[in-house]
Amino acid sequence: MDTFSYLGQGFGVALSPYNLFTALCGTLIGTVVGLLPGLGPINGVALLIPIAFALGLPPESALILLAAVYLGCEYGGRISSILLNIPGEASAVMTTLDGYPLARQGKAGVALSISAWSSFLGGFIATCGVVIFAPLLAKWAVAFGPAEYFVLMVFAIVCLAGMAGNRPMKTAIACCIGLFLSCVGIDSNSGVYRFTFGSLGLADGIQFVVLVLGLFSVSEILVLLERTHRGQKAIEASGRMLFNLKEGAFVLATNLRSGALGFGLGILPGAGATLASAVAYMSEKRLAHKDNRFGNGDLRGLAAPETANSASACGSMVPMLTLGVPGSGTTAVMLGALTLYNITPGPLLFQNQPDIVWGLIASLFVANVMLIVMNVPMIKVFTKILAVPYWALVPAIAIITSIGVYAVHATTFDLFLMIIIGVVGYILRKLDFPLSAILLGFILGGLMEQNLRRALSISDGNLGILFASPITWGVWVLIAAMILLPIYRSWRNSVKRADRPAAADA
Amino acid sequence: MYQRIFGLVLLLICIGLAIVAWDYHAPFSYEPVGPRSYPLLLLLLMGLGAIYLIATKPAGVHEPADEHDHPLDRHMLIKVATCVVVLTIYAALFELLGFIPAAMLFGIVMSRLYDGTWLASVISGVVLAVGLYLLFDKALDVPLPLGILAGLEN
Repeated sequence: MDTFSYLGQGFGVALSPYNLFTALCGTLIGTVVGLLPGLGPINGVALLIPIAFALGLPPESALILLAAVYLGCEYGGRISSILLNIPGEASAVMTTLDGYPLARQGKAGVALSISAWSSFLGGFIATCGVVIFAPLLAKWAVAFGPAEYFVLMVFAIVCLAGMAGNRPMKTAIACCIGLFLSCVGIDSNSGVYRFTFGSLGLADGIQFVVLVLGLFSVSEILVLLERTHRGQKAIEASGRMLFNLKEGAFVLATNLRSGALGFGLGILPGAGATLASAVAYMSEKRLAHKDNRFGNGDLRGLAAPETANSASACGSMVPMLTLGVPGSGTTAVMLGALTLYNITPGPLLFQNQPDIVWGLIASLFVANVMLIVMNVPMIKVFTKILAVPYWALVPAIAIITSIGVYAVHATTFDLFLMIIIGVVGYILRKLDFPLSAILLGFILGGLMEQNLRRALSISDGNLGILFASPITWGVWVLIAAMILLPIYRSWRNSVKRADRPAAADA
Repeated sequence: MYQRIFGLVLLLICIGLAIVAWDYHAPFSYEPVGPRSYPLLLLLLMGLGAIYLIATKPAGVHEPADEHDHPLDRHMLIKVATCVVVLTIYAALFELLGFIPAAMLFGIVMSRLYDGTWLASVISGVVLAVGLYLLFDKALDVPLPLGILAGLEN
């Protein structure tokens, strides 16, 4: 019952005219950012943090803005996937598989509206999930001490590597790089300057806005250089713009299944929207028995990844809010934003600052409604934006990025640092390292070290405390499972590969 | 090949940083773990990862990112290097000249780099620099340096 009164209070926060306007701006900006090639939710959210700060937005409005941008990006990503066959980000790859064929069959309008509807349903299902599960988890998480937190963060990182599919080692190394970068600066416990090499600019550590914009914006600018030659032509969205009831009913079961699945995967640290959309697509493809046209413009093939995608975007808010452990790159950025406001996410957030938490949750509902209302009539406008050429777009991104970085500390040192990080990020990207793992590591790094040191202070240096409670045992078992998973997977693949030539011989 | 070079570089950096980190001592300590052990632990893990990169062949599987992108040839490398240099110059001029002139120059050069025509580049550079200055400094209250244009304000 408590939950509902809190939720009512949250709607009170989210529906205040000021926050409604914030959410509207956020969804608009998010959709445009998600739409633009090469800009994903991480850039969008990171760019807005300094601005939200400079505008003096109160913390709950800032969070609502960022959450709205996040959801808007997931919405916008599908427009370029469907009309251009170019996924705006990794999580929209699956959308292209059936979305683009549909658009080529002249059903672009139907495809866009059904994907908007699916996104809405996914977001809605997951937000309901957040309402139910987040307070439960928060209540349970109060029992967590520093040792439990440390083990949990180890799990988050191992999970990220284990779920990374074909490159677990590279993901693990990227995580370690991120964790290490968080050590730079004054050690808050002892006052020792670590890895600053006498530079004053590094004394209070690498600012995470600098890291994010360097890793994602600057490296993206360099990557876009390689694509200047190609011009793409968007398919004109014409004909019927809205799906009809029959089509809606056809994909409803898919929506519900994929929404639940996406929410579940969104909660897992590190799994995120990319994995959720892929798993949802694959399982729906397997489930579809009659008239299976997956890959050739099946509406279900469009609905499944879109639903899962936005469901996991909402689901990843759960670990961020309740445990302070982000579930995806974007929520990692949001966590960083919270710490800028001196708010420590975690179980106590639910008790101490219910306005912020429930306002955010309520605004997820509001933003979802806004997005579907806005997206259907405004598709024509959004497709126009797709036609902006790189020579106008990239300089704008670069300059806005520099403003965002400069706004944090007003020093040019940060600009240089951003460029260095960007170049390293570009190299890492070329070598196929996942950059979001670095970011997640960076965000978790400081918390992880603090909790480890606190735990060992309690036990006076005895490592046994890390294995002392039932919660830690449970998490260690999960960690072991996550380490074994990729090993098992590569073993199975090698067995398969060994089998195949044998089968060919026979 | 590149992966091995990267592994080697990473390993050397780890060793170098570990040597630096070895000297970190808290002048007086009231906790069992000093400032040194956690970074050392991470450097050890990273070093092991680097050894893994050196030791394994980059699996025969094609890296998916490379399928659609252009191969990194000389032409592309020059372009990327130019872009980095332009960014660095921009950062250096940011406070020296002030935001508007620096962004204007930067916008024009970047536009050219992305195959814009001269006319389009100049227009977009000027519009971006002035427009973004007005938007951020005046409307959104993000202070930006005026630099050489400071005299115009008062």
